[in-house]
Amino acid sequence: MKGNLETQSVISSAVFSLPPLMFAAYNIHAYIDPGTGSLIIQVLIASFLGALFLLKVFWGKVKVFLNNLFSQFRKGNG
Amino acid sequence: MANLNVAGSFRDPSGFLFLQDGIIYRQVNRVYKEHYDHLINSGLYKSLVDSGLLIPHEEVDINYAKSDNTYRVLKPEPIDFISYPYEWCFSQLKDSALVTLEIQKEALKYGMTLKDCSAYNIQFRKGKPVFIDTLSFDRYHEGEPWVAYRQFCQHFLAPLVLMSYRDIRLNQLLRVYIDGVPLDLASSLLPFHSRFNFHLLLHIHFHSKSQKHYADKPMRKEMIKKRVSLTSLLGLIDSLESLVRKLKWCPKGTEWDDYYISNNNYILEAINHKKQLVSGFLDRISPKTVWDLGANTGLFSRIASKKGIQTICFDIDPACVEINYLTAVDEGETNILPLLLDLTNPSPGIGWENEERTPFLKRGHADTALALALIHHLVISNNLPLDRIASFFNKICNSLIIEFVPKSDSNVQRLLATRKDIFPNYTQGAFESEFGKLFSIQTSEKIKNSERTLYLMLAKEA
Repeated sequence: MKGNLETQSVISSAVFSLPPLMFAAYNIHAYIDPGTGSLIIQVLIASFLGALFLLKVFWGKVKVFLNNLFSQFRKGNG
Repeated sequence: MANLNVAGSFRDPSGFLFLQDGIIYRQVNRVYKEHYDHLINSGLYKSLVDSGLLIPHEEVDINYAKSDNTYRVLKPEPIDFISYPYEWCFSQLKDSALVTLEIQKEALKYGMTLKDCSAYNIQFRKGKPVFIDTLSFDRYHEGEPWVAYRQFCQHFLAPLVLMSYRDIRLNQLLRVYIDGVPLDLASSLLPFHSRFNFHLLLHIHFHSKSQKHYADKPMRKEMIKKRVSLTSLLGLIDSLESLVRKLKWCPKGTEWDDYYISNNNYILEAINHKKQLVSGFLDRISPKTVWDLGANTGLFSRIASKKGIQTICFDIDPACVEINYLTAVDEGETNILPLLLDLTNPSPGIGWENEERTPFLKRGHADTALALALIHHLVISNNLPLDRIASFFNKICNSLIIEFVPKSDSNVQRLLATRKDIFPNYTQGAFESEFGKLFSIQTSEKIKNSERTLYLMLAKEA
């Protein structure tokens, strides 16, 4: 448990010690404060989540393709 | 002409809500012109309204405007009863979160984004959550992050994961924190194993650490380097959606969720007779709205709702409200709204000047209130005097269907088993006398196979 906490702490320090200057300061015109920490974590995780999302969409298409293929195969055998 | 701004509508410079002659209007300020026109002209408004996700409105005469900087005045479809997230059960908050994410995805298709993800922008209409803030949409420019990400996590995600992972009652934190549950608090309250859920680790635990780390470090706006692509934004929303969708809470183990099953006092004949009496009393007074107080899972509320009466069921037990809501969803019921409420401590006014969120007693009035198997809990368990209870009911309804449960009833005996009986005035005579001061008793019927009596009363004019 302690090891896990330490590992997490090291990762957190590494991630969050990146200077804010690296990240976007966007043309934010919303009336609600998006929060610096919230924007930075969003920028950090979004690219990775975007890649996961693309994989998910791709895998969904593969599944549909395979399902269609098998159903045609079954119809052909029937 | 009665004309006043709605107390909770002042933060957004895009516009505000106001009441005129009892009708609610929304003023759109000129500063929001570009965004409003895009919402309407792009087809996003039509798409969201057609799919029941956004409240429809009609544009009315600009002369209704309250100031010179007005671009449009809208008359949104009214909501029957305004409820707040701390009055919702787990699945109501979860469905509201999913609707918010669905709207954000749809908005992105039309080149817009949600700039405001407050849970207070959701209300229940015809049994389903609907987004009510028409001015929460801004033009989306590729590369921009989602400005409402923090708000979504605080208003929806944090309370939902706390309810699911720790304790169902933690949604009450929303009553304390008007801008959602602080993420550092959520992170510290969550069990350690929640860190093994990858999406939760990112959106709550890492998010909270990031907020803490950058709390006193301003971001320099001119140093733009990294952007959030549309695909990345969709990935972020997909991650939140799959996390919310997988959150579960099973309604069981609370005091009241199996009341009708386990309570031997409620034999079938008594329940059926009580149902007949309630139905007959409702037919006699034909109310348009019914509030069932202490509704449990809505067994008797449905007598009203099945007659086409707009019915709100209030109960203190999150499991009962959850079961009631899930039943309403399964059955496609459109005129029943289960809500979580402790009658002895109803939702207060909160926010700026205690006015941003309206207290329970100022949010409406019922034609008829049902108070079945309730009064003994108020008197015996909460030491409430009969005259105070009668006064409360007189404030909230025009007519009252109330069940008197005498001391000899086994349920009352159970309540008295562990405490001293300091209620010599809890008698049927005293009940009729106190309620008779504020109500005229129309009729009363003894419920078969029980010692209980059901009354129909009409409130006297103040």
